[in-house]
Amino acid sequence: MREKVAYGLVALAAIILAVNFYRIMLVLPDDAMQGPIYRIIYFHVPAAITAFTGFFVALILSAWYLSSGNMAADSLAASVTEVSLVFAVLNLVTGSIWAHVIWGVWWTWDARLTSMLVCVLIYAGYLMLRQAIDEPTRRARLAAALSIFGFADVVIVWKSIEWFRTNHPQPVLSVRTGGGHMDPRMEAALYINLLALLLFAAALTIVRARQESTAREIDSLRRYANAY
Amino acid sequence: MRLVKQALAVARKDLSVELRTKESLNSAGAFAIVILLLFSFAFDPDAEMAQELSGGLLWLVFAFAGALVFNRGFARELPNECLDALLASSVSSAGLVLGKAIASVGILLIIELLSLFVFGIFYNKQWWAHPAELAAVFVLASWGICIVGAVFGALTVNLRLRELMLPVIIYPLLLPLLMAAIELTNRLLANQKIGDSDWLWARVLIVFDVVFTALSMLLAEPILVN
Amino acid sequence: MDARNIAFMFYGLLTAWLIVACYVVSLARRGARLKKELDDVKQLMNANAGAGTEKQTARR
Repeated sequence: MREKVAYGLVALAAIILAVNFYRIMLVLPDDAMQGPIYRIIYFHVPAAITAFTGFFVALILSAWYLSSGNMAADSLAASVTEVSLVFAVLNLVTGSIWAHVIWGVWWTWDARLTSMLVCVLIYAGYLMLRQAIDEPTRRARLAAALSIFGFADVVIVWKSIEWFRTNHPQPVLSVRTGGGHMDPRMEAALYINLLALLLFAAALTIVRARQESTAREIDSLRRYANAY
Repeated sequence: MRLVKQALAVARKDLSVELRTKESLNSAGAFAIVILLLFSFAFDPDAEMAQELSGGLLWLVFAFAGALVFNRGFARELPNECLDALLASSVSSAGLVLGKAIASVGILLIIELLSLFVFGIFYNKQWWAHPAELAAVFVLASWGICIVGAVFGALTVNLRLRELMLPVIIYPLLLPLLMAAIELTNRLLANQKIGDSDWLWARVLIVFDVVFTALSMLLAEPILVN
Repeated sequence: MDARNIAFMFYGLLTAWLIVACYVVSLARRGARLKKELDDVKQLMNANAGAGTEKQTARR
């Protein structure tokens, strides 16, 4: 049943992306100042939002695990974090390519890029910690603690670096500026892409979480087999 | 407050052990001086640029030396099952973590003072221009480093690759704290006026300390107790 | 400038999809490996159970 849900989500995401892709490439006009390269924003920004949504969901799941001891929460938290990490890396890479065209450098130590890199490092550390612990309950507990600390740090990192002067493009989405900075058609396309990416991320998370519980099942079967 | 009394008891124990054996002080102190020496080869100490990098240099040294200090924090309880004894005692997990952090801060501050002396000599810097502000920055930032180090030291104490995992996990978390400390130290060492942006960084230091101390107290129990 | 712009846009989008594709492939491979491992362990358990009952009947 879970596989069907996952496939359904992927199919839906694929359809949305395909339709939107047509609009992005052929219907919408170029950005007045940047030219065609700006279209990367349609993946760059939704990837970032997806990643942070995932990290936040992981925070909730981790807190839930610590209070309830439900191992499914732990599996889901690990899966969500891993998938979100992929989208965060995607954000960094697309941002880097965009920066190369616009600013002429592959990397610059501006606020948002640095913050995102810090996030990637923190959650890569989370995955490394999970790999280093064999015992499932202990792994779940410590990973949950790190997830909570990690998200608190992400918030502090973002707010503190935002105070620093930045040459990253200023917020253009209506939710942050109250409208008027971005053509509404472009903004709509961005949000549609965001929906598609969120669905895709959800599908990947379901698949990954399934693998986590399979791994746990194997582990418990092995222990049982060794005991007799 | 019971928590504070327990924490101070643990800290007193750790500090008296440390002052007797001086293992962390010696190793971390020697490490700090060696790194300062190495950096003097990497950058010409007389150059203008080196003067501007002084904050970053100092806090890198303190971050690395601090890793040596809080690595020992929980690891020293492993032989003879002292950690189990501590957990079984009436000391709460939060008190244990807090006490370890206090002891680490004490040791780290001694090392920082020593490094500052050596730094002043190697790089010809007068660092005593704003002693009160510098002390405040050092105490706040060192507390941030040590409380995170204590919690994650507890978290990784039984791991196979503890010495490797601990720095890898902690340094990304400490980045905002280190950034703030570096900025403020740079301003204070360069004897410049304290501006608005400096108060922003001071606020980052304080918020970081408050948030992470609170989180550490809350999560100490799940982390330590099996 | 404009042609280079478009080229980089395609590289950018291509890279994005490559990253996602790599992850999906690694996920699929991990799934296959886990499934095989699960089947192996189940087979091992059945073999053990069979051998156990054989030993019991032989002893009797």
